Amino acid sequence: MDTHFAQRRRRDLIVAACLAVIAALVPLFVKDVYIQNIMVLTLMYAALSQSWNILSGYCGQISLGHALYFGLGAYTTALLFTKFGVLPWFGMLAGGAISAVIAMALGYPCFRLRGHYFVIATIVIAEIALLLIQNWDWAGAALGIDIPVRGDSWLKFQFTRSKLPYFYFALALACIAWLVTWWLEDSKWGYWWRAVKDNPDAAESLGVVVFNSKMGAAAVSAFLVAVGGSFYAQFVSYIDPESVMGFQFSLLMALPAVLGGIGTLWGPVLGAVILIPLTELTRSFVGGSGRGVDLIVYGALIVAISLALPKGLVSVFGMLSGRKGAAR
Amino acid sequence: MTISRRNVLLGATAAAALGPMAARAQTSEVAIGVIYPLSGSSAAIGVDAQHAFNTAAEIINKNYDFALPLAKGEGLSGLGGAKVRLVFADHQADPQKGRAETERLITQEKVCAVVGTYQSAVAVTVSQTCERYGVPFISADNSSPSLHRRGLKYYFRASPHDEMFSAAMFDFFDAMKKKGQKIETLALFHEDTIFGTDSANAQTKLAGERGYKIVADIKYRANSPSLTAEVQQLKAANADVLMPSSYTTDSILLVKTMAELGYRPKNIMAQDAGFSEKATYDAVGDKLEGVISRGSFSLDLAQKRPMVGLINEMYRAKSGKDFNDYSSRQFMGLIVMADAINRAKSTDGEKIREALVATDMPGDVTIMPWRRVKFDEMGQNNFADPVLLQYTAKNFVTIFPEQAAVSEAIWPMNS
Amino acid sequence: MGPGLRQETRETHVDWGAAVTAETIIQSLASGLLMGLLYGLIAAGLALIFGLMDVVNFAHGEFLMIAMYATFFLFAFFAIDPLLAAPLVAAALFVFGAVVYLLVVRFAMRAKANAGMVQIFSTFGLAIVMRGLAQFFFTPDYRSVTNSWVGGKTISIAGIYLPEPQLIGAMLSIAAFVALYFFINRTDFGRALEATREDAGAVALVGIDKNRVFALGWGLGAALVGLAGAIMAIFFYVYPDVGASFALIAYVTVALGGFGSVFGAFAGGIIVGLVEATTAMILPPSLKSVGIYAVYLLVVFIRPRGLFGSM
Repeated sequence: MDTHFAQRRRRDLIVAACLAVIAALVPLFVKDVYIQNIMVLTLMYAALSQSWNILSGYCGQISLGHALYFGLGAYTTALLFTKFGVLPWFGMLAGGAISAVIAMALGYPCFRLRGHYFVIATIVIAEIALLLIQNWDWAGAALGIDIPVRGDSWLKFQFTRSKLPYFYFALALACIAWLVTWWLEDSKWGYWWRAVKDNPDAAESLGVVVFNSKMGAAAVSAFLVAVGGSFYAQFVSYIDPESVMGFQFSLLMALPAVLGGIGTLWGPVLGAVILIPLTELTRSFVGGSGRGVDLIVYGALIVAISLALPKGLVSVFGMLSGRKGAAR
Repeated sequence: MTISRRNVLLGATAAAALGPMAARAQTSEVAIGVIYPLSGSSAAIGVDAQHAFNTAAEIINKNYDFALPLAKGEGLSGLGGAKVRLVFADHQADPQKGRAETERLITQEKVCAVVGTYQSAVAVTVSQTCERYGVPFISADNSSPSLHRRGLKYYFRASPHDEMFSAAMFDFFDAMKKKGQKIETLALFHEDTIFGTDSANAQTKLAGERGYKIVADIKYRANSPSLTAEVQQLKAANADVLMPSSYTTDSILLVKTMAELGYRPKNIMAQDAGFSEKATYDAVGDKLEGVISRGSFSLDLAQKRPMVGLINEMYRAKSGKDFNDYSSRQFMGLIVMADAINRAKSTDGEKIREALVATDMPGDVTIMPWRRVKFDEMGQNNFADPVLLQYTAKNFVTIFPEQAAVSEAIWPMNS
Repeated sequence: MGPGLRQETRETHVDWGAAVTAETIIQSLASGLLMGLLYGLIAAGLALIFGLMDVVNFAHGEFLMIAMYATFFLFAFFAIDPLLAAPLVAAALFVFGAVVYLLVVRFAMRAKANAGMVQIFSTFGLAIVMRGLAQFFFTPDYRSVTNSWVGGKTISIAGIYLPEPQLIGAMLSIAAFVALYFFINRTDFGRALEATREDAGAVALVGIDKNRVFALGWGLGAALVGLAGAIMAIFFYVYPDVGASFALIAYVTVALGGFGSVFGAFAGGIIVGLVEATTAMILPPSLKSVGIYAVYLLVVFIRPRGLFGSM
């Protein structure tokens, strides 16, 4: 089994490297900013969903409150820059660190909760944070934060028209999130998570170590999502509580992984590549009617995929990685 | 792999589709982007806005005998009779989507100007994007005063902002006090959005300057399932004037809840929004007799300017509703933009911007009670005098300022 | 902040000492109690469905929206008062709930992998479709029932106001929970539901069709939402997104009371209503939901299965 597993992992890495190189070359051929914009969003959601997948997919702790970390990342970067002139690169790390610490602090009481009790706890914690920011005058409250853009600058990570720097950053983030997941799959943590999933009794005997590994997963997941949030703040150059911390963002982050294949290495990437362009294109070309047709298409698709392919789209592509594929 | 093939294909199709479109635009069509929430919780506003913009486009593109710029003759004479073509986009009240759709309108649909957006948060990113591409943007119906103070060159707003609106309310209070009415205490009731916050900020500042006491300042969560606790605090404060800044949903619930808890405010002075929507008056109009709302439009202007009534009929044929404060501002937004494009004789962003800067439209060739349309260096029209409208006998009548008033204010509203 | 959005900290001068009296406190608690019973009624269907088959319906808010539209249209086109329409709406929602089970949820429950996620996201997708369809067929306009029998009427006892629609809703809520209790514990069908939940394989042996039982269970859950929607339509507005405001409260209500306990949902509703009213007296009203959420967290951190939960 181990040799099989090792072979598969090597193959995954090679495929990923090829895809990354191809993706990096795409902007050379696709110059349209609208399409480039969709590509940036696709990569961003791939990264976010991959990070979400670490905690919710591999660890089985379904969080529908990850907008909290996304918002923390976005707000930390934007506040540090506009109030204290701290460059977004440092803000990004600060936001990630704060989110990781908060994720562990929240994980401590929350990991005792099971099933829907945990899911609802994550939702209400993110809602509380949203309401607090919405009422926090120093942080702009409902007015949000408008990040002044004064020309192109790598130092301030802002570009007026070009999407390419954002594209390559999002690509790098997606690659890092993928690599972290890839590495975790074969780590001690990954092993425990699988053991716990297969055999609930094992959870008892492994109690403490598993709990600690979940805390670790929460921290890694939150850190990466917060970096995504920092990126979003720079990319849109305006944030307000509702648009970076709203509940719908938690769902949007989970959807690619769920549709692509939760708890799998390729699920989030595949889900994002299909879902995000589809969402954007239906809104742009059907949404203008004002009749809600885009919602019907989008919702029906979610119902159809989740019912027809409970293991996600990866099950079609036969790309199920790791153990399951190896067992076949 | 999927990503590249997909996008290359898409790019190719988009380019193929754009070719002829761009060519057409030069000869007989001028594309203008119109960006609104067309799905999601404020879709109702976006759909009404579509009707308002289509009405304006129809008047520009066909021949009408109105004293309105561009009504006579077909299309834009400055561009050889080119027709205005509207390209609608849906921003779903999301600033990120607003930015992306604006970029699509500019780069793919080749619009030469953009009008929007209803939500102020979206106006922030839409106007930023227009600025980056050098495309003029008219903020048709955003009333947040912060919008024009961001040093943008391509930002224009023909209609008043919340500080102007609120100033009119306090002018009215001052005038009523001179007539011997007792107005000392105010209660603010506002939602926790940009609109609600900006409105309350302006009102708090003015109250301090002019010596009114704010006895309750209730900030509530928009689309709340219940407003009982909020209304109790308003009732306990029982101010001389209740000043709500709420959208339709919360306006309906506020009025119903006040009745249920036996609170009859002495007076209501509303910051427009829900209090100018037909849906609110359909639901709770019987409890709103005598309510005063600020506005930038009044149908009774039709008595002085018959075209206002005729244009309203055109709009009603499309939407089943009368013009209100939003739809009228949306209508004028497109007229002002098209007029500038016509004078620019070009679809070049910089030339249109220059034409907008040079705009000087007398008030009587608009459908609004404005003195004129002329932008200051920040792109704000300071000649857009707001009016105050009172709801009596199922109609809105203008009661302030005096030169626009057709009737005396009923004060207090329940008398 | 740069030259961006202006932001000022406002000084507010609210004299709360004068505003908070014994009367306002009693009124707040009375209103909170009424609202809480309504939240309970809205959540009852969710609690039943979860208690039966471990499925959380993420389209619950949209079921409420459909019920409110049904009430509105019965009133607008056939002049049927919402109080009379309530049984009709409940019946219609019963059918709707059963159909949703047979067309969607049945398949979600069959999922062998990721059962929890499949249920969450198939019902969530359904919610989006329902909103889209409502916008398509009913337009996004805001609708209201005007001049119904009890709409806008209110009873005043010693200066405490009790709105009639909410009073009726509260009584209906109590009646619904009592009926539900007897239904589950004292009828053959109720026992069949319970048994099916415990062991679907075993009941098949004694000739009980699992799908039929579950479809009826979903119908019943939806019918309860139908009742709630009919009452809500009297004093609330209706539009395609109206369910969203109530959905999260309903989930928290059920989880607070404890999944699997119908009585828990009843108690949860009352607690949520009272906590909301109390928080609004202490914090700015825009933060009143924080109280509800905080109480939920406090409860589950101490009792991980809610107040009366069995699973």
